[in-house]
Amino acid sequence: MKKLVLLLLLCLLTGLAYADEKFQFNGYIKNELGLRTRDQNYLQKNKDIVQLAGQYNIKDDELVFFAKVKYYYDFAYEKDKLDKAGHYMEHIQRAEWLRDLYLDYNNGPWFLRLGKQQVAWGQADGITILDRVNPVDLREFWLPDMVDIRIPLWMLNINYAPKLDSNLQFLIVPDFEESQVAPIGAPFTVRAYTIFDNTMKAIPGSTWDINQHFPGTRLDHSTYGLQWSDRIADTDYTLNFLYGHYSNARNTTIQTGLHFQVDRDYKLWRVYGGSFNKTFTNPGPMQGFTLRGDFAWYNDEPTYFGDPNIGKTYGFARWDNKFWLIGVDKYIVTKWLLSFQYAQYIMEHRLAENNSFASYQQIPMNAYTYGAQDPVENIFAIKISTDFLNQRIKPELSWSFTDDAQGKVSPKVNYEISDNLLFTLGWHYFYGKPSESNGQFNHQSQVYTQLKYSF
Amino acid sequence: MKKLSVLLAAIVLIWDIGLAAELEYFQVYKPKDGMSVDEIMQIEYFVKYTKFAHDVNMGGKAYFIDKSGSTREKETARLRITLGRKSDDIAYKDLVIFTTPQVRGLGTLTWTYMDPKKQQDSWLWVPSLKKIRKISNANADDSFLGSDFTIDDILTRRFEDETYTLIGTENFKGYNCEYDKKTYFKDAPCFVIECKPKKSPWYYSKRILWVDKNTGGGIYEEMYDPLGRMFKTLFKDYEIIKVNGKDYPAQILLEGKDLRTGHRTVIINTDIKFDTGLSEDLFTERALTQTRW
Repeated sequence: MKKLVLLLLLCLLTGLAYADEKFQFNGYIKNELGLRTRDQNYLQKNKDIVQLAGQYNIKDDELVFFAKVKYYYDFAYEKDKLDKAGHYMEHIQRAEWLRDLYLDYNNGPWFLRLGKQQVAWGQADGITILDRVNPVDLREFWLPDMVDIRIPLWMLNINYAPKLDSNLQFLIVPDFEESQVAPIGAPFTVRAYTIFDNTMKAIPGSTWDINQHFPGTRLDHSTYGLQWSDRIADTDYTLNFLYGHYSNARNTTIQTGLHFQVDRDYKLWRVYGGSFNKTFTNPGPMQGFTLRGDFAWYNDEPTYFGDPNIGKTYGFARWDNKFWLIGVDKYIVTKWLLSFQYAQYIMEHRLAENNSFASYQQIPMNAYTYGAQDPVENIFAIKISTDFLNQRIKPELSWSFTDDAQGKVSPKVNYEISDNLLFTLGWHYFYGKPSESNGQFNHQSQVYTQLKYSF
Repeated sequence: MKKLSVLLAAIVLIWDIGLAAELEYFQVYKPKDGMSVDEIMQIEYFVKYTKFAHDVNMGGKAYFIDKSGSTREKETARLRITLGRKSDDIAYKDLVIFTTPQVRGLGTLTWTYMDPKKQQDSWLWVPSLKKIRKISNANADDSFLGSDFTIDDILTRRFEDETYTLIGTENFKGYNCEYDKKTYFKDAPCFVIECKPKKSPWYYSKRILWVDKNTGGGIYEEMYDPLGRMFKTLFKDYEIIKVNGKDYPAQILLEGKDLRTGHRTVIINTDIKFDTGLSEDLFTERALTQTRW
């Protein structure tokens, strides 16, 4: 049915585009194949994706309507074939198909964007330090583009520019979506979820009552954001504030005999932070370097503690954690762009109050792996990219890693077959211990291809 | 002797700065017989960077044609506002948004400064990230968006970057454009100027440039590598557009040929509109984030 609706929509958009120059549309059809390269080789995905976007200028550039829809079908997870995840497909599509639906109003210093959208804050690449307005879809870990990872939300995005090159942004987000992880049995199911599922299955005769406590769609349950942007001495900077519900649930389990009640709560937290970027344009040894950075202070971030040796959580604490990043970009020789990022996630790391757990049971834990979370996590990323044959071929190598001997190496090459047809070949190689973020997928290294036809 | 050299260098520098300050923004200049070669080249750069106009709004199509004839196409919408503002040293700001399906929405905002030694500030709107990235300037000898023009050819080369020798004046033999098979500027009176880069070693040793007397535009140039071999030709078709009674020279068609690879790039500017009153608010990061695709 959805396919039929999409087809009809495509016909409608095409018709409108020809009928009215105020209307523009764009889209693509894409196939993504992923083949596991460790242990047993199997197709991790065979996704066909169609995306359509349309824009209608109601009143020149002052009032514009924009919508983007996306649908995909992953043949690798068809039921009775390679379905490792039961209701995988319907689970995936729930937050997926409507990517944008908003109305823009632009008049003088005012700019309003009202509707379903994404808002990206910060300067970090691939790390969400300030980029915390939208929840994230990690069903393919952090492998897709960020535009596909962020889950769009309904919001009022109000902007006012009191002077040139400055902007005050105020967000009211009455919508809530939880961040998504892959279901049990999928290639990128997080270790924490597998441990939890195994625990449920390991107790014969047990009954589990899992209660989701989503924040209500009320104004006082909304998320609020504020960003001030300005430029001083050739440096762009922002000051940011976010207040709302944490997009990952924290579980509290109450056991009564063989009955387990799991309450999944989305706790309130605050993000205070800022970002900057600067390109050194004046002559001197730094000319051509671009520096960028993010800083965030997470107030009341709900953080699991427990015993990582047995992968068991005993509760969560509300900590004040810090996350900062500095990045440098520079063209090193003709056409070769080098980017380097260094980030530190510094946890408050104090013992939780009002409990009787031993200190070894109060180790901060990575919510995705139930492994131990270092008090200070050092994260590095290096990316090098270039192009050949008049930008027809674009190779890129990225390597992200931490000080725990774990990481991901991702070489890829894009080849522009024609104006509308792009082919990508790449490899994601994961390494490290299973209790680490990338290491948990050390058996899911993947060779992938993408063939994208744009129109 | 050393002191004399320093003094001479200082005089040359002051002279350069003096010349650079001579041309006032928002005026139309034409090269004339009897002008010095530096004056002619100042006008050529003035015309190239449309400093005569307050703003420009145009569409653009770029064709990338390899030796076998295989052609790729990119489309852009381009805006420029000329400021020539001493308070923050900004000469002009450019906004380029790609409208080709494959890269639709990709946009760059570039600020160019009046100080010739200062590099540009550039921001990139990346649709796949849905956010702005401040970007380092590519090297001047890098290809401009994969074309046969370099960043230097299109964006960064300034009057102060080269020394000039007037070879003579002549009626241009005409340029046979491979793209539309037309002959341009046949018998157009031109100044022929040798331009040598001050930077050494550099990817070219000299350019021989034909500057059209009617428009002030550098219509044709031959570029020579450090070994003195011609490796590239660049052609620019300038036409006069009447705006409020003034004759504005506008770049209509550009054709660049790499003689080593046989690759060609053709850029066609369409729907060129000058002085439409563009607001500087359009050339801000905030405006870039409003890109929807």
